[in-house]
Amino acid sequence: MKKQQHTDREKKKIRRETLSAYGQSLPSLLLILLIVIFPIIYTGYISLTNMNVYHWNNYELIGLENYKDALLVFDNGFLTALFVTILWTIVNMVLQLVIAYGIAMLLNTKGLRLRNVYRTLLIFPWAMPGYVSILLWKTGMYNSQFGLLNQWIQKLGGEPVRWLGSNVLAFISCTVVNLWLALPFMITIIDGALQSLDKSFYESAVLDGATWLEQTRYITIPMIKPIIAPSVLITTFTTFKQFDIIYLLTQQVGAKTGADIHTILTYAYEKAFITNNYGYSSAISILIFGMLLVFSMLTSAKSREEV
Amino acid sequence: MSKKNKQTIRLIIVNLFFILICFGVLIPILYAFSVSLNAENSLLGANFSFLPKRMTLQNYKAVFTEKPILLWFKNSMILAVVTLVISLGTGIPAAYAFSRKRFPGRKLILKILILLYAFPSLLSMMALYKLLSPMGLINTKTGLIIVYTGTMAVFALWNMKGYFDTIPVEIEEAARIDGASQFRLVTGIVLPLAKPTIAVTAMMILVYVWNEYIFAINFMTGSDTYTLAAGLYSLQATEMSGSWPVFSAASLVVSLPILIVFFALQKNMTTGLTSGGVKG
Repeated sequence: MKKQQHTDREKKKIRRETLSAYGQSLPSLLLILLIVIFPIIYTGYISLTNMNVYHWNNYELIGLENYKDALLVFDNGFLTALFVTILWTIVNMVLQLVIAYGIAMLLNTKGLRLRNVYRTLLIFPWAMPGYVSILLWKTGMYNSQFGLLNQWIQKLGGEPVRWLGSNVLAFISCTVVNLWLALPFMITIIDGALQSLDKSFYESAVLDGATWLEQTRYITIPMIKPIIAPSVLITTFTTFKQFDIIYLLTQQVGAKTGADIHTILTYAYEKAFITNNYGYSSAISILIFGMLLVFSMLTSAKSREEV
Repeated sequence: MSKKNKQTIRLIIVNLFFILICFGVLIPILYAFSVSLNAENSLLGANFSFLPKRMTLQNYKAVFTEKPILLWFKNSMILAVVTLVISLGTGIPAAYAFSRKRFPGRKLILKILILLYAFPSLLSMMALYKLLSPMGLINTKTGLIIVYTGTMAVFALWNMKGYFDTIPVEIEEAARIDGASQFRLVTGIVLPLAKPTIAVTAMMILVYVWNEYIFAINFMTGSDTYTLAAGLYSLQATEMSGSWPVFSAASLVVSLPILIVFFALQKNMTTGLTSGGVKG
């Protein structure tokens, strides 16, 4: 009887705590439910209709037609955009890691007095608002008339180049801007990881006659890997979801540069706001969301294993 | 060659490398800066140098007098402050509850929040437009505030919850034993301890609203309703038109507050963000 009372009180306490927890978080959760979750569900609903600029209000359900169009009709461009996005992510991540590692290593050169000055200057691009930097690159560097690159080329007697005019060149130009924007963060992370390493490992390795390459391969990289892994993962996601660079550089409304490269995000945007095919664009959005869900579930399962 | 000499030469080479790299990295910004100050406006001239021969502040004056930049600034500030107040006002209690209390549904909600964090709000822009437009909220500040608050609510809750987790619960328990009321506990102990994360979260929200352009240009139609980001977007020089010197001056004016905030908070940035486990 006494025990019964005890658990009753316990139950009451749990109930009270649950109530107060939900009470405290209700406004926030309600906001998220109404502004974030509901539009996603609504996007899912639109993706099953033929809503477009001609059927803005009198649309009807057409089942999985839009998904079929995206996944089975190659000419629609979604699969190409997906391929470009994957290529974009791989190229950018590899270059980022290699370059950031190299620069972070050099920053840790023994006796480098101006280290902090260099570091501060190098993270400048991170501090600038991203879209401003992209627009400055677009006009200041790549513009075919007065962009700095073409001014230099002309001074050297070359022909001006239309940096954003063709697919391959535009892809490279966008990659350069992405590296410029993203390297500061990666350098900071790797530099921080290198700083936290225990120097005594190297001393014994040097005594054993290990070369620089061996030290890098067997000591440095394995030791910084777990430290930088979360940041690398987050950066991979942001690279995969990149929209601003490609949109602002090559395909602003009324200022298309001639290149026709799409990542999945710019593709979804174009289908919604330029060609006004809302149903189809929503299907693309749901597909992208699905991919992101699978990725983040895979990675969170993996990181839980490792911990 | 002696070992010491070798070391010195290596240092010189590394230093040269960094001087070159730093200069190279800063070129786009330096170029914009120089163009914005150049009195001769000789963009097509072959003799461009980073130090203009004749300097002028004319372009900066044009930014403030010919363009409605102060109005855009006001619009951005209103949006930022309202978004900030709502996100923090709802986010702090929620983050505290999720960090300190154990209740059914907690784990599930946290998992959903991580997944939502991976979702770019751009993808539901269409649906948001379709939902807000019959309510008459397109081309209004309220509409944008709704969008921004939702996006930032997920971030605020998740980021601050991560930081609350790192504050030892024993501090609060000690205060409770000393007879502090719940209210006293939160205002006197929890909030002061959480100051760094509140500051960083607030900064990230401000920066987000300051930099957000894609919703702003699609949801706002008149240039008097533009935010700074949307306004700057509309100022850009294209291949054919627009004034590149004025645009570069405007770009630098818009970037300056963000630069100041960034370098002032750089130290807090790492602790305030990494403990939350998300990057803004």
